[in-house]
Amino acid sequence: MTAVNSENANLPRRRLLAWLSSVGLAGSAVLAVLSDLIFFKPRVTYGQPALFQIGKPEEFPPGTRIAREAERICIVREGNKIAAISTTCTHLGCSVAISDTGFACPCHGSRYDQDGAVTGGPAPKPLPWFKVSLAPNGEIEVDKNAPVDPGTYLIV
Amino acid sequence: MSTATKEPGLWNAIRELPSNVWSSAFRNPLPSTDLERASTSFTNFFLHIHPVKVNRHTLRPAYTLGLGLISTFLFVILVVTGVLLMFYYVPSTTQAYDRMLDLRGTVAFGIFLRNMHRWSAHGMVAMVFLHMCRVFLTGAYKKPREFNWVIGVGLFLVTLFLSFTGYLLPWDQLAFWAITVGTSIAGYAPLIGKQIQFVLLGDTSVGQEALLRFYVLHVAVLPAVLVLLMGVHFWRIRKDGGLSRPEPPAKTPEAGIVTMKKVYGMQGFVRGPFTKLGNTPDDSVFSWPNLLMAELFVLVLTVSVILVLSLAFNAPLEQPVNVMHPPNPAKAPWYFLGLQEMVSYSAFWGGVGVPGILVALLLLAPYLDRKPGGVGRWFARERLLANTLFLTLVVLNLIFVVIGTFFRGPNWTFVSPF
Ligand code: HEM
Ligand code: FES
Repeated sequence: MTAVNSENANLPRRRLLAWLSSVGLAGSAVLAVLSDLIFFKPRVTYGQPALFQIGKPEEFPPGTRIAREAERICIVREGNKIAAISTTCTHLGCSVAISDTGFACPCHGSRYDQDGAVTGGPAPKPLPWFKVSLAPNGEIEVDKNAPVDPGTYLIV
Repeated sequence: MSTATKEPGLWNAIRELPSNVWSSAFRNPLPSTDLERASTSFTNFFLHIHPVKVNRHTLRPAYTLGLGLISTFLFVILVVTGVLLMFYYVPSTTQAYDRMLDLRGTVAFGIFLRNMHRWSAHGMVAMVFLHMCRVFLTGAYKKPREFNWVIGVGLFLVTLFLSFTGYLLPWDQLAFWAITVGTSIAGYAPLIGKQIQFVLLGDTSVGQEALLRFYVLHVAVLPAVLVLLMGVHFWRIRKDGGLSRPEPPAKTPEAGIVTMKKVYGMQGFVRGPFTKLGNTPDDSVFSWPNLLMAELFVLVLTVSVILVLSLAFNAPLEQPVNVMHPPNPAKAPWYFLGLQEMVSYSAFWGGVGVPGILVALLLLAPYLDRKPGGVGRWFARERLLANTLFLTLVVLNLIFVVIGTFFRGPNWTFVSPF
């Protein structure tokens, strides 16, 4: 191989160009992946809202234990205390049904007691309780983004 | 201008039109000599995926069982029927289920198309899996085919994901709860599980956003990825020297193993054993017609089986989605029931841990097992250990699938199917 002078003179410049384009390509690939990740994570959702009102306390007389199926919560009223317990199974997300002893999941057989504590099956965690408050218009407001300790009630 | 004294007149042009059009499209007559047989791979776009010659061993049905080919043809059927279904399907929670009913009731051949799509999808999962088993049990993943095995694992995962995304589209009870359970499994992945689940569903629970996302993945993204991977897969088969086969028995010196010093044109780039050069005795036959006929036979067989199945059995459709009442028991598609069974013991291990380890083992298999022996034969004695390990895992998974499918009743309690 005989080296041609003019070629050699071009080498550093060509190396620089190659280096710059590699950095440019790699950089844009990283940026593309990152922006895709951001893009795919929705900023608004269109489904069931997390904060909603369910009605006046009078609609839930003492002793009530009803599942609100669309919102996937169970409203419990004992005396003047009201609470909202999630009815989404902590195992894999099926809707649990109210049973004699508490809640039962049809999917893989998890069972919970009246307060949502696990009594059997593969569920790893108790059913969460959600914050319940009285809105200014007198309706009960449930916030599914605000879990509270089991046993936390709203006194009405 | 008028240099051509014998310029064909308009009348001649019209008279010869059919034969001229024909011969411009098909430049060569059907081959009758070896040279013409060889040149089919060069001159025909659709045939140039073939090598000129293939080893006899490659054509033995008992070696490959045609499983890779069957998977390919099932994919072709899926694309054709899938595109046709797209003309009537709407990915909306209020319409999807009605469109399923319309396919049954009003669309011409609608139910038939849906059956073909559904049975081919089930078939493809099964055939790709069996193809993987054949490649393992014949030791075909060994050097130089390690990377094609890795591509293959990718193909297997994309195939599973394709069928999983398709499962949601009818928006019936089966679909809704299988996807609810399936995507919750993703939520158990360490650290980013919940994020993955949220991005996959586009919301906190399965709804319109999830349906749209799964639809786009199912009809556009994943098929494109699969086609790309299949292209690389087939290319690598050629570049890795054709299909695996046993080492040829030691030849007499004059038969000549060709050395790389003497390079014949483009063949210099081909790694692996050469098929044939010069007049050395060899064991290969022309792809036209030998390989082509074998492929056509498998194609006809695959299409016939799917047609018969689609005439005989209708794809299931359950009640429309009822967010309040999961069916009891709620079961995933059969090929995920092994996972679901494991998930009923531990969501993390069944859904994330064990599958993750299995996929990692699959990906690493060719790099961990590097002994060269036993390639090109089923159940080679040299591979007893590897084959036994592999079969044990396969059988274990199948046992879980069978338990999940037949032995699980309401509340996932153990029931006897008998
Ligand atoms: C969409 C899925 C797939 C398609 C369409 C496909 C297609 C094919 C075809 C047509 C062949 C030719 C030989 C034969 O039919 O057996 C082949 C060979 C091969 N496949 Fe696949 N395949 C798929 C998935 C896989 C998987 C899951 C693996 C393994 C993890 C794999 C690994 C291989 C290897 C290593 C070969 C070369 C075999 C040899 O040289 O004997 N493929 N594939
Ligand atoms: S989803 Fe409730 S037990 Fe699995």
